[in-house]
Amino acid sequence: MWATNLKVVGVVLGTLALYTLIANKIPQVQSEVPQALTTRAPNLLTDEKGTGLIGARCGKREPGKSCKQYLFESLDNPTAYVVPGYQPIMPVMTKQLSPQQIWAVIAFLESQGGTVDVSASDIPAAGAGVASGVSPGPAGPGLAGGSTDPQAIIQAAGCLVCHKLDGQGQVIAPDLTHVGSRRTAESIRKKVLDPTSSIAKGYEKLAGIMPKTFGTMLNAAQLEALVQYLAAHK
Amino acid sequence: MPEALLLLQAAADTSHAYGEFPLIGARAAVWIAAEVHLMFAAFVLGVPMFAVVTEAIGIFGGDERYDRLSKEFTRLLLVAYSATAIWGTILVFFLATLYPKFFAYLLAVFAPSTWVYAGLFFVESFTLYLYYYGWDRWKKGRAKVGHWTLGILLNVWGTIVMFIANSWLTYMMTPPRDITPSTDPTTIKLWHAIANATWMPINVHRLIANVVFGGAIVGAYASYRFLAARTEDERAHYDWMGYVGNFIAMSALIVLPFAGYWLGREIYQYDQSMGITMMGGFMSWLWVIQAFLIAVLFLTGNYYLWIGMGRIPGAERFRPYTKWLLVILVLGAIVWGTPHTMIADSKELAAMGGSHHPFLGALGVMSAKNTAVNLMILTTFLSFLLYRRANTRPVVPWARTGTLIQGAMFAIAAGIVLFYGIRGYFVEAIVRIGFSVYQVLAVLACILCVTVIDLLMARGAQSLGAIRWGKMPPRSQYALFILAVTFTWLMGLMGFARSGIRQYWHVWQVMQDTSAYAATPALGYAAKMISLCVLIFLSLVAFVFWLGGLAEKSTFVAAAPGVSPGTRGAQHVGH
Repeated sequence: MWATNLKVVGVVLGTLALYTLIANKIPQVQSEVPQALTTRAPNLLTDEKGTGLIGARCGKREPGKSCKQYLFESLDNPTAYVVPGYQPIMPVMTKQLSPQQIWAVIAFLESQGGTVDVSASDIPAAGAGVASGVSPGPAGPGLAGGSTDPQAIIQAAGCLVCHKLDGQGQVIAPDLTHVGSRRTAESIRKKVLDPTSSIAKGYEKLAGIMPKTFGTMLNAAQLEALVQYLAAHK
Repeated sequence: MPEALLLLQAAADTSHAYGEFPLIGARAAVWIAAEVHLMFAAFVLGVPMFAVVTEAIGIFGGDERYDRLSKEFTRLLLVAYSATAIWGTILVFFLATLYPKFFAYLLAVFAPSTWVYAGLFFVESFTLYLYYYGWDRWKKGRAKVGHWTLGILLNVWGTIVMFIANSWLTYMMTPPRDITPSTDPTTIKLWHAIANATWMPINVHRLIANVVFGGAIVGAYASYRFLAARTEDERAHYDWMGYVGNFIAMSALIVLPFAGYWLGREIYQYDQSMGITMMGGFMSWLWVIQAFLIAVLFLTGNYYLWIGMGRIPGAERFRPYTKWLLVILVLGAIVWGTPHTMIADSKELAAMGGSHHPFLGALGVMSAKNTAVNLMILTTFLSFLLYRRANTRPVVPWARTGTLIQGAMFAIAAGIVLFYGIRGYFVEAIVRIGFSVYQVLAVLACILCVTVIDLLMARGAQSLGAIRWGKMPPRSQYALFILAVTFTWLMGLMGFARSGIRQYWHVWQVMQDTSAYAATPALGYAAKMISLCVLIFLSLVAFVFWLGGLAEKSTFVAAAPGVSPGTRGAQHVGH
């Protein structure tokens, strides 16, 4: 009887081992999570390297800076302090969100493992300090107070956080210095309004990074001024 | 402002969304609990189908052996139900503690269905108790038919329970398109979530697969009892039981690919990118493994039948044909296992001379594969037919004509399959997909018509001798074990395919998996997990079988006292 039992166990284990072996001999392909979803920036809501959630670690990042100050700086000037291992690709959030929104985010981040010390007095104080031209609706004056100066628009929109233009800015996204030789005005206009409509070769992994909100942030005159300015960069 | 709210919502959703499990991690813990629960669930759904069919054969065919066989398996269900419930509870606790946000989301959508589910499980359990414990009390006449009705009810409850659970997992795969990440789950209408694109195809696919699985496990149980039998009568009984289990498993297996095609088509129609991930993306190698497993099933199932013909007087007439059947099966398996589109690195592409191998590319397309699998199904059906007719000689006056018609039907079906297979190379994909329907219909029509003719021809047929049940070499029984292990492993593999195509989504494009285990593992890791789950399941099933034999004797009855030595006192039925 024991011999039969052993043979049965042998057949079962042998069959399982064969299937497992074959499945391990073929090429191994793991379906990774797209980079944008996980590793483009540190995870603020998990214990990163044993230092706690963002609310607990924000006060220890830079000597002499409180948690609140550090978080505001991270949103207002993201390239000032880049965590090792990550690219400086974060847009300037104070140009994208209103002061109220900025401080709501800071309060939330502080609540993740720390103490919330954002108060009503922070909001007007910050409102004076950050770009004031953010308007979410097409009826508003547009970025940079509605200025049609292309360079003011580029500064206010934070384009140079990722793009390089005339020797200034970062090289994370395509260099715009000669963008007019690659794209027509129509193509540039489309790209500004719908950044995912076409992706420059070699930058596929960064698809989705460029904000899709410029269509509502710029007024028509600003958009046209920006497009013509860039199209002239042959 | 809405963007900021969404930003805050997304951030809030990520905090405390996941728990951690020691040593093996949260994903592996849930994987094992879900897989083993599902295997037991398939067992307790498949075996009652098996039981109610065999009981009906016993009642309406007047053969008491089937009635006893049915009871023997219902007895095993009692313990298997407890195991199913225990693993289900483990799964719920794991989900609630390791994936709390996701679990809360599912409950928010499906809460009322979980109450119905629990209630039905209760009703199902008590129907089972009545069915089993009332077996000897309601044994004759109308009472027996009433008892059989209980068996049908048991299947009805079980099927509804499965349909409910299927709605949860198919919602994760194919949530209705109007549901987005910002949809409040409490506002989703229950029926809208249940009746999603893949719900019914999965229901049908699993229903058939459970019959296959039930038959295979019954076959494995019988083969073990055969090998452990001490008397000729006992060996004969379990040989017969193994044959019945295998017959049911293989018969249902033949129609399973058609249900699979339907499911695949629905997945493609719902989201083409999901279909491409499944068939041509990172899961492409999975189908090569699946083809290998199916080949093992077809070859082993046929091998068992061919060995079985050794115990049938008159079967030697058909023996010369088996080698040709083997040739068709092997060629079919090779074609079905031929890879076509799969992820390859630059070196591999250079070695192949392109994304498709110049020679294998022609055999790896669906035209060739559909042709291969349909011919394999026809071949297996022919094996059954030869087995069935082995010890009989038809006496009806039209026997020769009938056989010729049957042969012609096989030839026509094979011709249609080959014609559309070859024609598929010369037409566009959209036309080619339609051809598979004609191929399937030709095969099904052949199976149906040939069976009807065979039943009519068998009336009053001359017997060439009774089947010598029990006269089987032990290797035939090990073949049944291989079938059971392969069916179970295949179930785990297909479960991985179904679940894995969601990739890093808990609910496809609605709720994202942001845990440390969001990446979908490669096939090697999956295979280890599947083998582990199969091992856990089979060990527990062996324990269930052992428990079943511990308290009660088997149900076989010796032909007559004294006919075979050592059978005195063995005339018991059940307990």
